[in-house]
Amino acid sequence: MKAAFAGPLERVDSCCYRIPKSYRADMRVDGLIFANDALIESVKKDQAPDQVANVATLPGIQGASLAMPDIHWGYGFCIGGVCATDPAEGGVISPGGVGYDINCGVRLVKTNLFWDDVKHHVRSLVKGLFHTIPAGAGRGGRYKFDAVETRRLMAQGPRFVIDRDLGVPRDLTHTEADGLIPDGDPDQVSDHAVKRGAEQCGTLGSGNHFLEVQVVDSVFDADVAKAFGLELNQVCVMIHSGSRGLGYQVCDDALAAFRNCPAKYGITLPDRQLACAPAESPEGKKYIAAMRAAANYGFTNRQLLMQQAREVFAAEFGRKWEDLGMELLYDVAHNIAKLEEHVVDGKRKRVWVHRKGATRAFPAGHPELPDVYRAVGQPVIIPGDMGRASWVLVGAAGSMERTFGSTCHGAGRAMSRTAAKLQAAGRRIDKELESKGVIAMASSRMGLAEEQPAAYKNVDHVVDVVHEANLSRKVARMRPVGVIKG
Amino acid sequence: MYELFEHTADLGLRATAPNIDALFAEMAACLCAAILEDPTSVRPTIAESIEIAGTDREFLLFDWLKELLYRFDAEHQVFSRFEVSVRQDGLTATAWGEPLDPERHLLNHEVKAITYHELSVVPTDGGWRAEVIVDI
Repeated sequence: MKAAFAGPLERVDSCCYRIPKSYRADMRVDGLIFANDALIESVKKDQAPDQVANVATLPGIQGASLAMPDIHWGYGFCIGGVCATDPAEGGVISPGGVGYDINCGVRLVKTNLFWDDVKHHVRSLVKGLFHTIPAGAGRGGRYKFDAVETRRLMAQGPRFVIDRDLGVPRDLTHTEADGLIPDGDPDQVSDHAVKRGAEQCGTLGSGNHFLEVQVVDSVFDADVAKAFGLELNQVCVMIHSGSRGLGYQVCDDALAAFRNCPAKYGITLPDRQLACAPAESPEGKKYIAAMRAAANYGFTNRQLLMQQAREVFAAEFGRKWEDLGMELLYDVAHNIAKLEEHVVDGKRKRVWVHRKGATRAFPAGHPELPDVYRAVGQPVIIPGDMGRASWVLVGAAGSMERTFGSTCHGAGRAMSRTAAKLQAAGRRIDKELESKGVIAMASSRMGLAEEQPAAYKNVDHVVDVVHEANLSRKVARMRPVGVIKG
Repeated sequence: MYELFEHTADLGLRATAPNIDALFAEMAACLCAAILEDPTSVRPTIAESIEIAGTDREFLLFDWLKELLYRFDAEHQVFSRFEVSVRQDGLTATAWGEPLDPERHLLNHEVKAITYHELSVVPTDGGWRAEVIVDI
């Protein structure tokens, strides 16, 4: 890792810093990093601000190259990066602005259970979840789809499995884009990707992906919480996963296909991992079609994970999941590029909004929101770490003015995996969590060490920034009580 | 000779070798060490022939590792021994291994992807050196 960021960071206001366009001759726009005085020091510690500046060089970029307060170093774009490009101005699409895990995202499932109903069941629930839901490297799922079915699944999204009684139609209306990104073309997804995805739908994966049983421990906005169906001490299930090997392969394939694009389209890139092509070029269109199909796979993966969790709860409590009120609050993508309408310099434009480790956060009244949330705004689900807290926020008007309708996506790593493992040497993270009231099961002890709470920034601090910047507002905070990990 | 090294949230693979053929074999072994807790648990019972086209040495290394990762992830094959012949326009390789057996092959990291970040294949005084970061 190279040295800390040494460039300029000008304070714009109490929750935003600017890397001015004048920092480098190749920057087309400013870089803006949402952070407060407390967080900005940690932001400077790695090359993530340089990556914000790198993104500012992309053809067709609009407004500014943006980063959310959970910013940390990523491939090409930083994690927490947001950028909008205008296809009418030669704007590019970049797989590095979406990430390897296309439509990595999070969903929150409510229950009508409260802490008192569940506290004596947590250990048994976690065991049931761990044995039912495949997690960790190399574990295939119980749902096997052949190549034809996998392609159909990408074309239809979760509807494909809901038609097989793995969920209910109302799950779709509680998923971003109604669970189907239109114009995805499974035929643009390689056979390699389809093969990687065929056995992995309905599996959690490893790394930072998890399934958590949580309890609402604070409510900050009673009206919005009521509209979302959340109340104090209520039990929820949070699921964080993505498009598994299929998505990684789609990204890989696009990076390979884009190798010659800089020369072909006269684009100068400061970092090879920023590979991109004009959104309207044949290479760009092919990636967009494949990326959208992979995104639909990601929604379906989380649908199958949710359905398995519903079954485990039903078995534990001896009641149907419907009777336990296990309704989907919302499912949001946080690694995706979408064509959206935004106002830029007073003009309404359709732009490619890349969100890499960032969550869409549309405010009340936005036409893309489902009827049930249009009056209050979009639910924004922010996973934290397995020892402290996660959050539900609601999209706020500032996101449309400042961040192309985006907000943060999580706590953000504060420690490398190696450092986390070293710090965990000789310790039992599962026992430590248990002493704090969290039952954790993981397919590898090392995974638990790498993902220990101290490896992450305090999510409360990240959420404070987006709340103050009015990108999204606090609704409720949840504490974890049970977790399964890869 | 190879080693794994720390990189932010991810993992670096690094190898040195007296010639480029051995370098590509060492980098493959290094990838297997990232995926498996104990690469020596893999018995070399099946020989797979792999051919990759490409003129750029760094992209060739990238594509070689990507192919091995694909065979692990999609075809559940693990490898422990490699012979590689690198040419101007590509490479020919034989990889020895066996089907993944979760009872005997303990998994280490889920490697999502090989990345271009700080990807390098460079001559050194005594031979060659390569580095690549993998996304985990």
